[in-house]
Amino acid sequence: MELTAVAEAVRDEVLPGRVWFYANYHCNLACTYCLTESDPRAERRELGSQRMLALAHEAAELGFTALGVTGGEPFLLPYLPELLARLAAILPVVCLSNGTVFTDRRLERLRPLAELPAQIQISLDRPEPDANDAMRGPQNFRKVVEAIPRLVERGVRVRIATTVTSISDEERTRLCELHRRLGVADADHVIRPIVRRGRAVDHGLGVDAGPADLPAELTITTDGAFWSPFGPTVHGGRLDTDLLITRTTTPLRVPAAALLRLVQGRPPGSDSQLNIR
Amino acid sequence: MGGMRVSGVRLVEAEQAPLLARPFYSKGDPGPIVAALAHVPELLEVTMPFLDVALGPSAVDARTKELVILRTSAVMGCRYCTQTHTVVARNTGLSVEEVAALRGEQPLEAAFTDPRELALLRWVEVVAVGPGQVPEATRREARARLEDPELVELTLLVGATLLLNRFCTALELPTSPKVLGRLAAEGWS
Repeated sequence: MELTAVAEAVRDEVLPGRVWFYANYHCNLACTYCLTESDPRAERRELGSQRMLALAHEAAELGFTALGVTGGEPFLLPYLPELLARLAAILPVVCLSNGTVFTDRRLERLRPLAELPAQIQISLDRPEPDANDAMRGPQNFRKVVEAIPRLVERGVRVRIATTVTSISDEERTRLCELHRRLGVADADHVIRPIVRRGRAVDHGLGVDAGPADLPAELTITTDGAFWSPFGPTVHGGRLDTDLLITRTTTPLRVPAAALLRLVQGRPPGSDSQLNIR
Repeated sequence: MGGMRVSGVRLVEAEQAPLLARPFYSKGDPGPIVAALAHVPELLEVTMPFLDVALGPSAVDARTKELVILRTSAVMGCRYCTQTHTVVARNTGLSVEEVAALRGEQPLEAAFTDPRELALLRWVEVVAVGPGQVPEATRREARARLEDPELVELTLLVGATLLLNRFCTALELPTSPKVLGRLAAEGWS
């Protein structure tokens, strides 16, 4: 019954087709607007390779149409390149990354993604190093602009996500020129606001976003299932539960059915006013 | 007793209430049972409707149900449920003597004379405390005084109350200040 219900809801665009996995919560960076207060010391809270694969199979069976992997920095997990290929064989996948941990060896292991429906979405906020690195940490800009062409030349599709409170027309133009030079097309560049959750609260950054502003993309973490990848945020070391759907994540049909009920009871037309994707 | 007791589990505040739990917070403080269950919203949203049917208005009259709830809670030594249902029982019209007897502060027979109620209270005692079979005499008496649907409903009510007793005691849920105020005003512990 849930299979039909989810598949129909996705077809009718009542429910977004993507299911997100929080692969982990730790990160080599400590960005000022990080939703999850991730940094190298953050508790890992790994979802695990086998669990993500099992959930991906169930997502496909239920009628979801795409997967997303986020964190933390997912590429700190040693098994990630092969896992992405296996996930992409189940459903198209996008994996979010800060783009700073792509060693030669890891890049080679990502080569199979070129033949699969897989994308890596890398954060790049500003067209110049100083402005970019002020929020993302030293050397971030250099590492990212080095990594992107090397992924592109291996045939891996790259998206760039720019997360900012505001950006001038001139700066946006320079940023778009930069991503085109790096081999990323305009269609693969998204600019979105900082969401005032996690560390962004402490720095007074970003916009408030509730369920009405966030696409209802089912998001699985070790702590439960959430309304959106912007849901399982951490503030003051404590997980936010205001966008928690269920603690149950397996079987996936339990949170999927609950999300569907919530979505069907939601007033229409308010989604994505903030372009939060 | 001043102020709120500290709970043995964090109670979920309104601003952290999960999506499925939010309706339970729409009229203000939902109380500690909801605020604890809100940690697991899929349990909250099935448990509360169940408890509403099991403990709330139904085919069995409110007085009879309060006899079961308060007696079970007192026998099980649940501070939260005994305190809360002392007030509910008084509001339902039970006398001070009846409430005191249900709380174990005087013999049941001193406050209750109705054979149906006494049969029920003996049934409650056996079901709540257990273990094992209900003695034949107690069963015969209960079946003679109560219709089968009543016996089924009230036996489940003992079970639902036991669930709450264990939950509230294990998690040290705090009795509401309003209830504590009322108890103090009427001389109850």
